[in-house]
Amino acid sequence: MNHAYNEVNLYNLAVIKESKRWSSQGLIEEVQLKNIEQEYPCSFYHPNIIIRILLFIATLFALSGVTGLLALLFGKLGEGIVATGCLMYGTFSFVILDRVLVNQYRHYKSGVTEALLYHACGFAIVGLSWMADFNTYFVLITCLLVFSYAAVRFLDLLTTVAAIGSLAGLLFYACYEAGGIFQQVIPFVFILCFGSVYVITRKLKKHNHLKFWLLNMMIVEVISLLLVYAAGNYLVVRELSINLMNLELVGGQDIPFAFLFYALTIIVPFALLYTGIKHKDVLALRVSLIAIAFTVFTFKYYYGFGHPEITLTVAGALLFGIGMLLFNYLKKMRGGFTRENHLAEKWANLNLQAFVISQTLGGNQSGVGSQIETGGGGKFGGGGSTDSF
Amino acid sequence: MTKNTPRELFEKGLIREDQFNKIDVINSGKVVSVFYELQTLLYLGVLLFTSGVGILIYMNIGSLGHLISIFALILLSIGCFYYAFKKGVAYSNDSVKPVTPYFDYVVLLGALVFVSVAGYLQFQFGILNENLELVTLITSVFFFYIAYRFDHLGVLSLAITALASFWSVSISPQKWYSGTFFETANLHVVAIIFGVSVAAIALVLEMKRIKIHFTFTYLNFCSLLFFAGAITGLFIGEWWFAYLLLIYGGCLFAYVMAMKRKSFLFLLYAFICAYIGTTYLLEKTILRDAIEIWFLYSIFSCGGFIYFIIKYKNYFKQK
Repeated sequence: MNHAYNEVNLYNLAVIKESKRWSSQGLIEEVQLKNIEQEYPCSFYHPNIIIRILLFIATLFALSGVTGLLALLFGKLGEGIVATGCLMYGTFSFVILDRVLVNQYRHYKSGVTEALLYHACGFAIVGLSWMADFNTYFVLITCLLVFSYAAVRFLDLLTTVAAIGSLAGLLFYACYEAGGIFQQVIPFVFILCFGSVYVITRKLKKHNHLKFWLLNMMIVEVISLLLVYAAGNYLVVRELSINLMNLELVGGQDIPFAFLFYALTIIVPFALLYTGIKHKDVLALRVSLIAIAFTVFTFKYYYGFGHPEITLTVAGALLFGIGMLLFNYLKKMRGGFTRENHLAEKWANLNLQAFVISQTLGGNQSGVGSQIETGGGGKFGGGGSTDSF
Repeated sequence: MTKNTPRELFEKGLIREDQFNKIDVINSGKVVSVFYELQTLLYLGVLLFTSGVGILIYMNIGSLGHLISIFALILLSIGCFYYAFKKGVAYSNDSVKPVTPYFDYVVLLGALVFVSVAGYLQFQFGILNENLELVTLITSVFFFYIAYRFDHLGVLSLAITALASFWSVSISPQKWYSGTFFETANLHVVAIIFGVSVAAIALVLEMKRIKIHFTFTYLNFCSLLFFAGAITGLFIGEWWFAYLLLIYGGCLFAYVMAMKRKSFLFLLYAFICAYIGTTYLLEKTILRDAIEIWFLYSIFSCGGFIYFIIKYKNYFKQK
């Protein structure tokens, strides 16, 4: 299956976007950027992020009006007809999106397209599942197929996440329903499956003719890695075993293969960190950092000493110290790693950072005043600070 | 975008050789920047450390270890500021590039620890027990000083939120959905006045060309507060028509700002608030019942809006 877009336009848009990043970091000059834009013309309608959000919201509102009217007209016609109607309406939305918006009006991720796409996915899935009386297998398979179609055809990232999620759900449900030994090996099935997904995706990334799906493949990579880690994580396995499989642990009992899961909890993040550094793979590096944080949390959860405030302080001091050390260590480029910010990330915006800081680091002062009378001043004077703004 | 694109651009003569050499090592992944990863580490470090310390200093009050830790925190804060004053460049009305990649975080840590300790000392010795709000005001003034001295947007936003909380209004989306945005009656009036006056001050500062790049942060917080206040007023009071006019005025202002600065966030605020206001007006006057009309309304209003945006797409382009 191919994507719905004009390839020349897609390529030119990518070149222009990348050149803009170079230009904003001073790697090329403004005049050169203008020349590149002329040399690589792009006729897509692809507005900036805020306009996209606006259009997305407006489209959802308009579509909800359409859906509401249709529901009023046909809602009383009986279940079978409504289910078929949903499916037809979903398919119709896909066709409008594909033929009219993308093909004719050259919309590319314009906000309108995303809204219509998710809307179409929703109705197609509900319609199909309704026809099968919401049989769980059928619903999961439908989700997987519809989301994969949307992801591949429209290069959409959110539906890529949803597709992987449906695959994981399907796998879990199949093993869970099979019962007995299958329930016990769910973690290993997950590690094997998503490990292979990861390896295959990495191979596919090298193919030039798949270059337009590069972002989708990166998302698949990251989520597979996270799933592999989660499947081997002691905390996840233990809590899921207790809650879903009614495993009862008394006294000093532990989950089956506990030792193995402890080992995986420690080994996986550091293996990722190692590969990330060795192969200069930023994705693996970032996932490994998240995984290490969760590993620490896992051990604190079962072997904590109380005193969260000491943990917070020490962890904070450690992170800050490590960050400072690495910044100093990478003053010179070492092993291909540098601390210099040579390309601005899309999401890295100083104003956004300032907003995040104001929302999370409330400062620790103002809680004091309001808490003193309640006698809780000691405990929450600092911690509750974020809420007092 | 592929690995060969930089070479292609080079061969077409669109970039020079020295530029190609720089870009190619980055694009091919031979050189990897961990700037954002390290910055995230520092940010998380500051976040965890200051929240930990904020709880810690109120525990075990009176013991010797406690005194030592307070003393250590004071030293830490002094150390941070010593570094900042020694390494940092002199004050300038323009934007200042940080001397090291971690400079901003050292300043942030110093400021937050200082405020924690100062708040604790005030709690312990009760210098300002008569008027506790003053603590927030002083904090805010301190943050403003640090923000301007070291050209720090993050501390500036802390200063604005502290100043707002001195007037007992909070600027936080988290408060929005928990429904306690304005805890006491009439706070929305305070929010509106606060928003308008701080925005006015920010614009005056901009006209005097003092830290022009701060204006966006000021205006962003002010418009959030203003619109939140005005919409609350619209929904609760008998004075809804007056608030509606206020909202329209605010939207007009935000629209002008958005177009002048080409920053579309204000456009987003303006459109959403104007839509909420207009819908409320219609609900109060002509569209009273009949759900079908509401569906048609959403189709035609939003459809028309989408048409308008796309039709005048060149008008909404970034530079």
